[in-house]
Amino acid sequence: MNKFRTALAATLLGATAMAAPAQADVKIGLLGGVSGPIAAMAPAMIDSARLAVQQVNDNGGILDGEQLVAVVGDSACNPQNGTDAATKAVNIENVIGIVGPHCSGAVLAATNSVTIPAGVTVITPSGTSPEISGLNDNDTVFRTVPSDDFQGRALARTLLLRGTAKVAVAYLNNDYGKGLAEAFRSEFEGNGGEIAGFAAHEGEKASYRSNLAELASGGADTLVIFDYGDGSGLTMLRQALENGFFENFVGGDGMKSDAPIKELGAENLTTFLSSAPVGEKSDSLEMFSKAFADVGGDPSAIFATTSYDAAFMLALAIEKAGGDKAKVSAALREISNGEGEPIRAGEWAKAKELIAAGTAIDYKGAAGDHNFDDKGDVPGTYALFKVSGDGFEVVSEIQ
Amino acid sequence: MDALEIINFYLVPGIVIGSIYALGAVGITLVFAILRYAHLAHGDLATLGAFLALGAVTLGGVSPYVALPVAMVLTAAAAVMIDKAFYAYLRERPKIVTVMASLGVALMVRAVVQVVWGVDSETYTRGIVRPDVWFGIRIRDRELITILAMIGLVLALHVFLQQSKWGKAMRAMSDNPDLALLSGVDNKKVVMLTWIIVGGLCAAAGVFLGLNYELKAMMGWTMLLPMFAAAILGGVGRVEGAVLGGLIVGIAEEMSTLFLPTEYKAATAFAILLLMLLVRPTGLLKGKVL
Repeated sequence: MNKFRTALAATLLGATAMAAPAQADVKIGLLGGVSGPIAAMAPAMIDSARLAVQQVNDNGGILDGEQLVAVVGDSACNPQNGTDAATKAVNIENVIGIVGPHCSGAVLAATNSVTIPAGVTVITPSGTSPEISGLNDNDTVFRTVPSDDFQGRALARTLLLRGTAKVAVAYLNNDYGKGLAEAFRSEFEGNGGEIAGFAAHEGEKASYRSNLAELASGGADTLVIFDYGDGSGLTMLRQALENGFFENFVGGDGMKSDAPIKELGAENLTTFLSSAPVGEKSDSLEMFSKAFADVGGDPSAIFATTSYDAAFMLALAIEKAGGDKAKVSAALREISNGEGEPIRAGEWAKAKELIAAGTAIDYKGAAGDHNFDDKGDVPGTYALFKVSGDGFEVVSEIQ
Repeated sequence: MDALEIINFYLVPGIVIGSIYALGAVGITLVFAILRYAHLAHGDLATLGAFLALGAVTLGGVSPYVALPVAMVLTAAAAVMIDKAFYAYLRERPKIVTVMASLGVALMVRAVVQVVWGVDSETYTRGIVRPDVWFGIRIRDRELITILAMIGLVLALHVFLQQSKWGKAMRAMSDNPDLALLSGVDNKKVVMLTWIIVGGLCAAAGVFLGLNYELKAMMGWTMLLPMFAAAILGGVGRVEGAVLGGLIVGIAEEMSTLFLPTEYKAATAFAILLLMLLVRPTGLLKGKVL
């Protein structure tokens, strides 16, 4: 038995020794809601970030030809798992920067309790809550997706323009739902619309029929849902449709998920609209779309572009900072401040040469130019989508 | 708001979700009465049952009602195996150790479900079902079946516990395990039988939850608190109490939106649990243990 133990210990030691060279690689964390209420969205987001990492490694690697390694963690779209995943990434994996977490609540918790004290730069591709702008973050928290303050207001103006003047609003009681709902309400009411029901709900309950009945009692025929399409948003949508509480449904970006189409059927979702950020047409977007389609991804999947940009920009910043964790956030501002040689999606080799030569570069991303404001936010463009076939189709751009 | 509206949108959903809580609470109460610990893996065992039924539906192409007995048998087998692998070993240790072990089992079962079936929301049948209207009352077939199946299963369990030799052995062990052992009751077999029944009930709760709503990896875990509240409300160790407790918790949750802001709906089960423990810890029907 003792011999067996010694042999086992020796094997384990050997395995550690063999794994040792990997320590020289540069690690970044990809934290996302792999499980939980946005599980249907997460795979495309993780894959597009991996594409950026792949492009870096295929075109000369990072720093002195080292490999960029992406460590995936499950933030499960909630604050607790977000903190756990970030702790593991920062303390055990020793990542130099993080792309993610995906959900606002997870971003706020993970940054406040883990990454800000540790000085690790975080770029979230989809944490949209206005709260994130106000973080006291020593300039280490950025996002490649616009704040919901923009989206809620844009959606409110668009609905009014489309002639919908009376709505009921149901929102998930978390940082994402609340932020979006408040922005929507202030703009909708400010422009003469009527909110005939405004209620939060807890996620993951089985029945929302009484919530819906309360909302419907205000007399609106349009329900605006700020929730996740793979979580309680789906349950609400189903129960509202089945019981005929409302005729029209409008969702935020969280509802633009494949899950409602898959589970409820496109034929039942003819009156369902959803807003979501879109990339402006650009060479960079086309280059990304082609590269992502080549590896089997769907370039129009929600947050695929922002997630790709976040990972690519983090790689550029690490290169610029020379691998120094403390300098990454400053470098991130330098590589995308609107001044310098433009770098488009995937142009790693060119960027690497320019950085080595000391030339200023300016990343023009697939989702936009990403010139961060002083809070680490970016402005954005949105579109209104409807269900068509087995996916979503743009109805109109909204502003 | 008229009476019909209250029945359709508050009472009927309350009874349906209450029936599902009841199925889970009966299992919790049995474990409490016979094995004397809180089984925290109960919800995730229900998730496993629901997804096993999904497996039968997708592989066999059968309706979820046909898949229900299959899932019940498989989940019962899983429950017995979990007991043999994890709980049997801890039987003589303080009960809190087993409670903690069951929390670990809950995480493991959920992880297995996520690995096998993934993390997306699933349904047994695609699309939506609009309710039938009977004299102004809107109810779906599946909701009627859920309520009737709950009543049928609980009645069958009641008859089994009262009339059969093994049912009496279970009750004897619940009253006094040492005395039961001395009187010739094989404790090991009773434990196994308990897990078979509990596993089956878990699967039924999971399948009906999936049938009426959606299948998610977290579905059972989020049901755990209301199910425990129901078991304690009814009186721990009392099967009929668990049914009563389940229905009360379900209806109270839905009705709470009439009086409280909707975000407090999820807290209703908490409030009931807290109030009951303060005012009458033995439950509505006097519980046997605790």
